Amino acid sequence: MGSKEVGRRDFLKYGISLVGTGVLGSQLVYPLDPVYAQTEKKGKIKDPIRIGAQATLSGPFGGYGQFMKMGAQLAVDEINSSGGILGSKVEIEFRDEELKPDVAAKNARYFVDDWGADFLTGLDASSSALGVGAIMGELDRVLIVTHGATEKLTENLVYKQGIKQIFRISVPVYQDGIAAAIVAKDFPAKRWVTIGADYEYGHTAWNFFKATLKKLRPDVEFVEEAWAKFLTSDFGAHITKVMAANPDGIYSTQWAGEAVTLIKQAKLFGVFDKIQTWMTPMGAAMDVLEGLGKEYPEKAWVTCRYWFQYPDTPENKAFVDRFYKRWNKYPHYVSETTYSAIYAIKAAVEKAGTVSTPEIIKALEGMTLMTPAGKRYIRPEDHQAVYQVPWGRITHNPEYPFPTLTDLKVIPAEEYFRKPPFVEA
Amino acid sequence: MRTFLFQGLVGLSEAMYLWMVAAGLSLIFGVLRVLNFAHGSLYMLGAYLTFYFFGLLGHNFWLGLAIGPVFVAGIGLLMERFFLRWVYRLEVAYQLLLTFAFVLIFNDLVKLIWGPIYQASPMPPGLDSSLSILGQAYPLYNLFIILVGPLIALGLWFLLEKTRWGRLIVASASDREMASALGVNVPRLYTGVFMLGAWLAALGGALSIPIRPVSPGMGEIIIIEAFIVAVIGGLGSLKGAFIGAILIGLLHVYGVFYIPVFEMALAFILMAVVLILRPWGLFGTREV
Repeated sequence: MGSKEVGRRDFLKYGISLVGTGVLGSQLVYPLDPVYAQTEKKGKIKDPIRIGAQATLSGPFGGYGQFMKMGAQLAVDEINSSGGILGSKVEIEFRDEELKPDVAAKNARYFVDDWGADFLTGLDASSSALGVGAIMGELDRVLIVTHGATEKLTENLVYKQGIKQIFRISVPVYQDGIAAAIVAKDFPAKRWVTIGADYEYGHTAWNFFKATLKKLRPDVEFVEEAWAKFLTSDFGAHITKVMAANPDGIYSTQWAGEAVTLIKQAKLFGVFDKIQTWMTPMGAAMDVLEGLGKEYPEKAWVTCRYWFQYPDTPENKAFVDRFYKRWNKYPHYVSETTYSAIYAIKAAVEKAGTVSTPEIIKALEGMTLMTPAGKRYIRPEDHQAVYQVPWGRITHNPEYPFPTLTDLKVIPAEEYFRKPPFVEA
Repeated sequence: MRTFLFQGLVGLSEAMYLWMVAAGLSLIFGVLRVLNFAHGSLYMLGAYLTFYFFGLLGHNFWLGLAIGPVFVAGIGLLMERFFLRWVYRLEVAYQLLLTFAFVLIFNDLVKLIWGPIYQASPMPPGLDSSLSILGQAYPLYNLFIILVGPLIALGLWFLLEKTRWGRLIVASASDREMASALGVNVPRLYTGVFMLGAWLAALGGALSIPIRPVSPGMGEIIIIEAFIVAVIGGLGSLKGAFIGAILIGLLHVYGVFYIPVFEMALAFILMAVVLILRPWGLFGTREV
């Protein structure tokens, strides 16, 4: 091992990598013309416009990712087949956020730094949304969250910390906690317990539920809590624990496949023979309806972030029809929120005439959009889209291959959305 | 008190799944001296294949249960014969690398074949009701699982203590060279033991499908717990695996009940305590 040899090796190593990055790199990493060349061509702002999306794509929560992809694909195809955004094609790529904030943040960095994303969207878990939200200032792209619901995303990161790059098109945890309590105040149930998802969303939803219900109904009591981590497959211990407290009402924040497992097991433990009311905020999600089918108890009160039968407007009907024609399924709420997020991006780029982040932020703030879920108004203070979603009770309707909702309770958004300056509940 | 006992019953049914996985893990380590990291994946494959045959054979759970785990035993045969056989004499690190590679392969394989989303299967008819125990409804299926666990323990005890094949296994576990010199076909015996361990894990997976979701990665959680169980009980000891599984199962339900904040850590703490006081486990044999 003479020094000469090392020198030669080093020379070769560095030489090859230099040649590689210099010649091939430009071709491999950016096979498309760089942005500045684009502006001279046909006056397009940037072609293609790239959207990096994240969802949970596998395991018990994977149903969400599949439905999110369907909604996104429908929007992208519709936009591209009708001339794109200001003549530019839209490209979308999906990555699995695995319900882990660090994975979600890594994906966001990949999208922006390596893939050339102009926008980010998606995100299922509240914790993942916070993980990505925290670095959006640094990545400096607009992120439109389509599911993760923690109020901290919009109240703290946007409103209090001023990370203006974050927006949320879907209803936040106000739907799960505050609206749930407004519905629950009319039930006779006095003794409430929770079987909770043991992470940001589960705790924050339960806290809103408790605080709001206590105000509306001073006579209720919250008598027991059982918390289950992600990927719990046996809820027997949690079910037994809360049932020992003799509850009238159970409030549960499990979602996707976990909600299916929990409700199946709760039935076997005779829970629904003993309690008056079961509430699962994310229980109207299409994958839960399909997963439980006829086994879904009619005592369950549920909601989601968009219900395909509400509102009764031509826009919504047309969307449901198009979605059904394309996928042979009815849209899940994340299908609609992600579909609408992509249309919000389109509207913002058309309004701003550019993909530059500060201009897009200006365009989105205060925007009113007509979407399948109804009119959405994007609040300039906290970048939260304001619209309402009904709560309802599970019923078995022969017209559909899955359970649907009855006794819809529509609470106007103004009544249950927290408002700036967001004092403590 | 009633609730306390009822919780115990809930814990016992969870423990039996752990026992089925830990039994094979411990048996394979005791005889082959291989730490099979892919043992949880065999549990997952058992669940998937049983689910598959269940769908294929007119939604008959019992037929699926009969065929699925046997199929996984066949996969075990291939694993042992063509891969594991070459690492017996190497360091543990190589065994872990090889078996971990299997974890990744099997995970991607089920995603390719069955898709990334979870599957849920209905209860077998006749076991889909509950009965009243201690004044509360208890699922009949969980009771069935609580019966199956000890039956398997009995079967294994009979096999190892009362049959010629079992005695050969015990003999070659304690002295491989001597058994070989006496004309025992040790390689074939090893293949048999690995297949038995694979079948046990797969049976656990198969029995889990009526109450747990079947999804990729489901083996990764149970392998960690089964590993803790095997270490607590003593690697290589079936009695230890059985008692260890019951301990961890009970610890889990009472943890949820009494110390929820701490529940996750309890199993690890118990393992640490056992390792400090009795490094060879509760029922393990001390390495001389």
